[in-house]
Amino acid sequence: MIKIVSGSSVPVGSTVALVSLCTRLNAGGYECRLFGPDHWHLDKCKSGTLADFRPEKGDVVIVHDIGLHSAQDLLDVTATIEASRSSRWQDVLGRTARRCFASAQKPEDFTLVLTCQGDGCSARQTNLSLFHKIHCLSDAQQISRKAKLPVFVCPNLVDDLAKSGSKPAKVAGVVGAIRRENQLELSIKQAFEDGMETVIIYGHLADPIYYYNDVRPVAEQYPGKVKFAGFVDDKQKLYDSVSDVYCSASKPWSTVRLESSLTGTRFHGPDSSGAQPVSNDRILGAWVEALGLPRNQGAGGRP
Amino acid sequence: MKSFEGDFYKLVGLLKNREPFAFNRFSDGELFILQNKELILDAQQVKVGEKVTKGLYKQEDFKHFSPKEHSFHRDRLVDAFRFKAKNYFKGLSCRCCVGEESFRWQLEFHGGDDENFTWANLLVNGNYPRFIREMYPLFNGYKTVVVCNDKADLSLFPFLVKDFRVGYNAMVNDYGLIERMRQWIVENRIEGHLFLFSASAFSKLAIHQLYEHCGRNTYIDIGTTLNPFMKMRLDRSYLKAFWLGTRNADINKICIW
Repeated sequence: MIKIVSGSSVPVGSTVALVSLCTRLNAGGYECRLFGPDHWHLDKCKSGTLADFRPEKGDVVIVHDIGLHSAQDLLDVTATIEASRSSRWQDVLGRTARRCFASAQKPEDFTLVLTCQGDGCSARQTNLSLFHKIHCLSDAQQISRKAKLPVFVCPNLVDDLAKSGSKPAKVAGVVGAIRRENQLELSIKQAFEDGMETVIIYGHLADPIYYYNDVRPVAEQYPGKVKFAGFVDDKQKLYDSVSDVYCSASKPWSTVRLESSLTGTRFHGPDSSGAQPVSNDRILGAWVEALGLPRNQGAGGRP
Repeated sequence: MKSFEGDFYKLVGLLKNREPFAFNRFSDGELFILQNKELILDAQQVKVGEKVTKGLYKQEDFKHFSPKEHSFHRDRLVDAFRFKAKNYFKGLSCRCCVGEESFRWQLEFHGGDDENFTWANLLVNGNYPRFIREMYPLFNGYKTVVVCNDKADLSLFPFLVKDFRVGYNAMVNDYGLIERMRQWIVENRIEGHLFLFSASAFSKLAIHQLYEHCGRNTYIDIGTTLNPFMKMRLDRSYLKAFWLGTRNADINKICIW
């Protein structure tokens, strides 16, 4: 079985991508489950909680956002995640010691794959030599390339979206998790400078303090014109509700630009993606090949 | 086994499935009214029965319940508390927040247990981050009606279709609004809508009577949970902890039954 295990399963881009991957793998005839600590993913695909997760012989285990120092850390993944995030001095000291004496031995019973979503910072907190394969979304990700790592690069799958039938005029969507690095306040200002009449904030509220101190005051400069929707599952509805999308942070791996294009929504953001879009069929094919899976019917095109 | 998190996700599940329900909350203020104690909340004093302490409330939270003058309204609160119906959930003050004696008093006054009992604090304390991040976005899937203080600014809500306003001591002074809301529901054939109440003790009476009248809508007492989106004060410790990062244990508190 393919088991995807993530240190977070709140509704942000990485979780959405892992849900899509799990769903597409199952649709392609590969048994796959997604395990995470939060609740959001549980009704989105074949899934389980972290307590349900256990690597077994013959599994392919895809890890996201969990600092691993040895394969043993996967045996109690909840404790591993808690220890890696704790700021108690005992835990910090323990982490340092475990990093120093970390085993470089790859697990023999199962295949271990690291997927680096976002800026790849979770990869910097893990022992990369444990992994049989490392997945990156783009060459722009800041993964250490000093060691000779078996990296494969393919973007995230994109939802099946259609051109919106009718669109409102001058309604901007600011799309993405609400956290400082996404610079929502700049997107809001830019949207109104461009003549937008309404801005709707769509995204998981990852950092409420940032929202309250930095985004809210900017929103209040445009009384009655900024709306807060939060994270909305239905992307088609999201794009149907806006004429334009604004992003301020440069994220070459983000799917927002492509989703905007698929739905006929004008995209305003850093022109960071020079790469041609890759079809979902080819992306699934890349995963099948990288994981060494047999090629089932409907398993995607060759990469 | 009843759990603080499990009950929260039960309501989330009903919202996702668009199954109508009512969530009514009977917090400590309502508990005192049910106990027929005089209650005064204002800037100068907080009076509960014979006990008087220094006041700390702001104008929109001022309240006065007089057992002699307001017995009619107290009786309606008792009706709301004792009402039983499918998917009519009653949030009680929990033993960890009001103590064992008051908790037991509620159960005895109610006349036994009810499978639809839950926590009055179900959307706050340790569940508040879940409420904002997981329940609030589901409101986008509904035509939503908000009942709140006349000072609240609702412009941030993309899902708003209608609002009703209340003022000071709404349970008494705005009681007639329940009938006007009922008429609005009938005249406009309102079904499948979501009603959010942030109107203190008025909410309890209205939620009961409107759910009994039209159980095809969903009615939720949101209390102060959306204050930061309504340009209202963050004067509850769980709000300060979540939105301002103030150190407070409430934001991690998992209430017990």
